[in-house]
Amino acid sequence: MIKLEKLNRNEAVRYLGGSGIALNYRMDRLMDECEKEIIAKSSPKYLYVERDLPFEELMQGEDIKNHLDGCEKAIVMCATLGAEIDKIIRINQISDMAKAVVLDSFASVAIEQVCAKFDEIIAEKYEGYFQTFRFSPGYGDYPIELQKSVLSMLDAPRKIGLATNENSLLTPTKSVTAVMGLSKTPIDRKKRGCAVCNMRDRCKFRRNGEHCGF
Amino acid sequence: MDFKEFLDSKEFVLLDGAMGTLIQKSGVKYDSVPETLNITHPELIESFHKAYAEAGSDIVYANTFGANGYKLKESGYSVDEIIKSGVENAKKAVLGTDCLVALDIGPIGQLLEPAGSLSFDSAYEYFKEQIVAGQDADVIVFETMTDLYELKAAVLAAKENSDKPIIATMTFERNGRTFTGVSPAAMAVTLTGLGVDALGVNCSLGPDELEGVVSEISKYTDLPLVIKANAGLPDPNSNEYDILPDKFADCVADLLKYGVKIIGGCCGTTPEYIVEIKKMLADKSYQPQKKSVDTTVCSASTVVEINGPRIIGERINPTGKKLFKQALVDNNIDYILTQALSQVSGGAEILDVNVGHPEIDEKKMMVRVLKAIQSVCDAPLQIDSTKPDVLDSGLRYYNGKPIVNSVNGEEKSLSTVLPLVKKYGASVVGLTLDENGIPKTAEGRFEIAKRIVSRAEKLGIDRRDVYIDCLTLTVSAEQDACRETLKALHRVKTELGCKTCLGVSNISFGLPNRELVNRTFLTMALEEGLDLPIINPNVESMTGAVRAYRVLSGIDKNSVEFINAYNDAAPAVTSAPKNTEVDIFTAVYNGLKSEGAAVTKRLLETTDAMQIVNEMLIPALDKVGDDFEKNKIFLPQLIQSANTAQECFEVIKNHISKTSGSPVSKGKIILATVKGDIHDIGKNIVKVLLDNYGYTVVDLGRDVDPQLVVDTAIEQNIKMIGLSALMTTTLKSMEDTINLIRQTKELQNPDGTSKCVVFVGGAVLTEDYAMKIGADYYCKDAKESVDTAKRVLG
Repeated sequence: MIKLEKLNRNEAVRYLGGSGIALNYRMDRLMDECEKEIIAKSSPKYLYVERDLPFEELMQGEDIKNHLDGCEKAIVMCATLGAEIDKIIRINQISDMAKAVVLDSFASVAIEQVCAKFDEIIAEKYEGYFQTFRFSPGYGDYPIELQKSVLSMLDAPRKIGLATNENSLLTPTKSVTAVMGLSKTPIDRKKRGCAVCNMRDRCKFRRNGEHCGF
Repeated sequence: MDFKEFLDSKEFVLLDGAMGTLIQKSGVKYDSVPETLNITHPELIESFHKAYAEAGSDIVYANTFGANGYKLKESGYSVDEIIKSGVENAKKAVLGTDCLVALDIGPIGQLLEPAGSLSFDSAYEYFKEQIVAGQDADVIVFETMTDLYELKAAVLAAKENSDKPIIATMTFERNGRTFTGVSPAAMAVTLTGLGVDALGVNCSLGPDELEGVVSEISKYTDLPLVIKANAGLPDPNSNEYDILPDKFADCVADLLKYGVKIIGGCCGTTPEYIVEIKKMLADKSYQPQKKSVDTTVCSASTVVEINGPRIIGERINPTGKKLFKQALVDNNIDYILTQALSQVSGGAEILDVNVGHPEIDEKKMMVRVLKAIQSVCDAPLQIDSTKPDVLDSGLRYYNGKPIVNSVNGEEKSLSTVLPLVKKYGASVVGLTLDENGIPKTAEGRFEIAKRIVSRAEKLGIDRRDVYIDCLTLTVSAEQDACRETLKALHRVKTELGCKTCLGVSNISFGLPNRELVNRTFLTMALEEGLDLPIINPNVESMTGAVRAYRVLSGIDKNSVEFINAYNDAAPAVTSAPKNTEVDIFTAVYNGLKSEGAAVTKRLLETTDAMQIVNEMLIPALDKVGDDFEKNKIFLPQLIQSANTAQECFEVIKNHISKTSGSPVSKGKIILATVKGDIHDIGKNIVKVLLDNYGYTVVDLGRDVDPQLVVDTAIEQNIKMIGLSALMTTTLKSMEDTINLIRQTKELQNPDGTSKCVVFVGGAVLTEDYAMKIGADYYCKDAKESVDTAKRVLG
């Protein structure tokens, strides 16, 4: 069980495109309200399996192979904030669009924090192993269609209510699937770099000379 | 086989235990899905069934849980092959015994709308395929369901394509809800209405943790309950479950008092569990439970019990409402959703939904509106139409148990509407009128009420699900009619034992101070036994009268609801800072909605409407837009400003439509998130801004078929189309949509060029790519969309 207690507000501000903009009183209040609501309505859930490398399933494209190069094990994982988050964002798009946008940002922050906690859980469980970052279907040449295979490997639709639609989009939307490598020997711990990101040509952060922080 | 007889012939019915657990233990390997073992290892599967039958199971589930068209796509087998072989294996295993074989059907594996994008109809088709393939089975079982909507599609598919008995079980989390938020009560109410043969819970939790859910279900149904629990929780390392067979049986024994009759095991259970359960049951008897909560309606998450006056909101209805009619014609669903949300916050517990208008396809609109409301609002709905085919569609696509508004004493109405009410397990409003009109006397109306109730009961509809409306007539026209209405209402309530319902506002037509008359009439009717007043819940005195009545008649125990409703409200009213001195610019720039509206109203007394728009509102919005571009303010602030401008525009629109009749619009624009894409927040932000700059947006929603975009453009003669896509995977749909727009003859000028201007946006788009797929404009954000609209439409 992962419980969220606090959300990183600076991150949320960054998602709102506003590093460097001063928060006025009303924005500040809105941020408070949305942070609380996202925490209250999230029900973070995750699943993972451990696989010894090499294994055939899920190995499509060069990037995932490079990513896991030198690792002995892989962790295949998925996580979600649950369907209620999508619902409150949907409701607020009708009743208060400004709030919907802030909720959406905090929800993105929240799922990333859930994943960060997941990393810690794995680090604790696999003491003595070094981990790569989480590599998701859709990064680089790793086909997004594999989301379905990851989810069915984890029995995620049944166990945590996480599925994909026909276009490999995750539902609920604030969710993640990923593969992480584990190695006993220190690996060249690859950063989640812009080089493998397929957003690199149009990334808002890069355009402003920043980094998304992943 | 008559399933009811089968059930009656046995004290308890034993199901089997897990199939997956036995497959895992055997160590057998399979590709893609375990159901392929039906064909690759039939003897093994048969041996599992045999083990269960020998352990004492009265029904075994064929190995068909995941054998649907979606999951089998890459398996190399058809649904028909897998299911037929699955049922055959089970049949072989139980040959020569009394054991029955169930066609086992689990969730499809994709989320249905609104959480996902699988449509109700597609879900129905997946289930239908399985049911047709599995017709050799004796029983149909739906299990491990977490979405009531998916389960409703499944039950309808079974009812409409087979005559087999149906057992339906859902999976609940520790918080007493399913993943999609379904409550045990809503499940029980809805499934009982749909006419399943037994219902209950399976999977997820152990029997020791199910008492809350099982006892809740038993309050809302008379049907025999089913439990097929997990053997506790799996150990993360060994994957062994922690509740052993004898303990499992003991836990189940504790639940028998809730009317549990059909018992098996889910994940982690084996034939030993079934043996233990059978032993435990040997000296027990079935304890059927009568439901303790009657007269309910529900959505998937919320059950409203009609145990005192409950407010039905009347405002989703175009009658006499110009803006509402326009919204229907423009397909402006958001307008209707706003009405829904504001009524619920006003105090409505059920919402009436009427979308009848001669210029639209009422059936399509009803379905679209019901789905949209249910995606944002938990209140149960009342489907209101004079057309049986509209009611039929509405009932089919509604999630939960709705009210049908209405049937009346006319033979034609009775014979068309009541069967629908029965089929879909709804409640119904019965109007006390017939071929001869509305009887003048209470006696006459009571007689019609009796007739409606007796016809309903003949069809198997419980009279508690018939809400009689004794009809409010206008008191200024017929002063004595009010007494007759109330008299009839009283008799229906006391002599027929039905709940009553009444549209209240008609009473005061033609009189001054209508609100006072309405409220007084409402109070009188409540005292005579009115259960379901249909009112405008946003008129505080009306809602307040109902709340006060609940206190004074002892329904609202300790005045809890009353205090909740008014405790917070009081200070909010007094403390709201009302700066009446702000100008429009300040109001818009700072996003002060109510101030903006107030100051606009004042200005209109002295200033021309268009002058306010062009010289004050638009410059204020431009300044906000400019600051946004320069990174001085946040997107939410831009939106708040736009919303304030919207309030100001509303005031101006109302003013103009009062003085000249035609609302101002700078032109129509279609917006759509393309087929396959469900991320629509960006599109919705663009919509808010365009709205507020005075454009009329025809919002087609998300996951929009290219053909719908083209059809709407042709129908409404729209020249500007905005498309959004958030994912690389859905850019293809964007391209397809643009291609279709360009290729459609009706959208071309005589020289073959396109009549439509297409602008596109979305996180993954670039200017280059936008041009490559044939768009006219690429807009990097909402602000740029407005600039583009200005350039194109002025």
